[in-house]
Amino acid sequence: MDNKSQATGGKKQSQWTLRNIILIALIAIFTGIIFWGAGFLYTGLTVALTPFGMAPFANDLLMGLWCMAGPLTGFIIRTFGSAFLGEFLGAAVEVFLGGQWGAGAFISGLVQGIASELGFTLTAYKRYDWFGLNASIFTTVVVTFAWDMIRNGYDKFGLPLLLGLFVTRYISTFIFAGVLTKMIVKLLDRSKAINL
Amino acid sequence: MNPGMKLLLVMLIALEISFTQSLTVNVILIVVSFAYILTQHVSMKALFGIIFWPLFPAVGLFVSQWLYGSAGIHFAWILFTRIYAYVFLGATFTLTSSITDLSLTLEQDFHLPSKFAYGVLAAFNLMPKIVEEIQIIKTSALMRGEALHFWSPKLYFKSILSSIQWSQNLAEAMTSHGFVEDYERTHYKVIRITALDWTLFIVLFAIVQVLLFFIRY
Repeated sequence: MDNKSQATGGKKQSQWTLRNIILIALIAIFTGIIFWGAGFLYTGLTVALTPFGMAPFANDLLMGLWCMAGPLTGFIIRTFGSAFLGEFLGAAVEVFLGGQWGAGAFISGLVQGIASELGFTLTAYKRYDWFGLNASIFTTVVVTFAWDMIRNGYDKFGLPLLLGLFVTRYISTFIFAGVLTKMIVKLLDRSKAINL
Repeated sequence: MNPGMKLLLVMLIALEISFTQSLTVNVILIVVSFAYILTQHVSMKALFGIIFWPLFPAVGLFVSQWLYGSAGIHFAWILFTRIYAYVFLGATFTLTSSITDLSLTLEQDFHLPSKFAYGVLAAFNLMPKIVEEIQIIKTSALMRGEALHFWSPKLYFKSILSSIQWSQNLAEAMTSHGFVEDYERTHYKVIRITALDWTLFIVLFAIVQVLLFFIRY
């Protein structure tokens, strides 16, 4: 089967072909379902941390996992908007699978989508390397954290707790959206399954 | 109500209550959404799910805000009810609307390019097969004595390989059924936004604005 027929022929040709749209959606759904399977982890962590009032750490510990679809699709389909669409659809999957966030997941998806897209925008869609990935990680952490300051009332916490949450989120995002994404992209590159 | 309008309304309200801090309005939204859901004949299992599962994040947020927050217990209750408001508002959409109708109306009434509407729809229709495929990938790895978890790059790598193959197949199948990208389509099932939809949308949205304006507690 010809798996290399991605629209990369002419530089000016739009990457937004029917095939690539389906590909982004499929990758988003795959990752969405894999995370959904890890949902027990979130519930378990929340239950364990609630008596100490540290439940927000469950959210920040797993943030990287939820923000993986964006950088992944952004790296595979290298064009404006692909990271956003991947991340948003990944969140939408959770809504339809009956996740515990309801409409909140749609909005988180929007915020996370914009957040990870922003990193690729900052590098003008030219740096598809460790630097570009880190730019996306940085914007993801900063934007989603700012959003949680409002939505989840983080702004009412004292500075030490706030710093702890921020660092936790950064490490989590770095590991999942960064290191893991890089390893996946490396495997893809080696397999020559797709023109990266 | 038109599914596109409904989703838009739900998201607008959810976004708004993220910024406003009114316990009473949150509770009103929860009660109204719940009453609406009850009239829609949803299964007991789904009903139980939307009540039970949000309890964990809601209680978690409540306790941490109560112990460490500077805004006191009232704000903790706002966060608690906010989570439930999100979920119940969302459920008024997800438990009653089909994703097919949503993509049809997004294409016909919201001018989303048809390749996005049908491409994403095609992918979403494969969801049960994707669940199966993940199981197959994990099982076949186990047969080689390799356990794949959500942190294993190989699990994602194999998922992406399947995605590449399936996207190619789906796109070709759609083309062979006469789907042409960037081309005006005619529709077998026409979904319009009616005057009733607009009225409902505007009235409901206005009511929420009035409530948020007058009820500050």
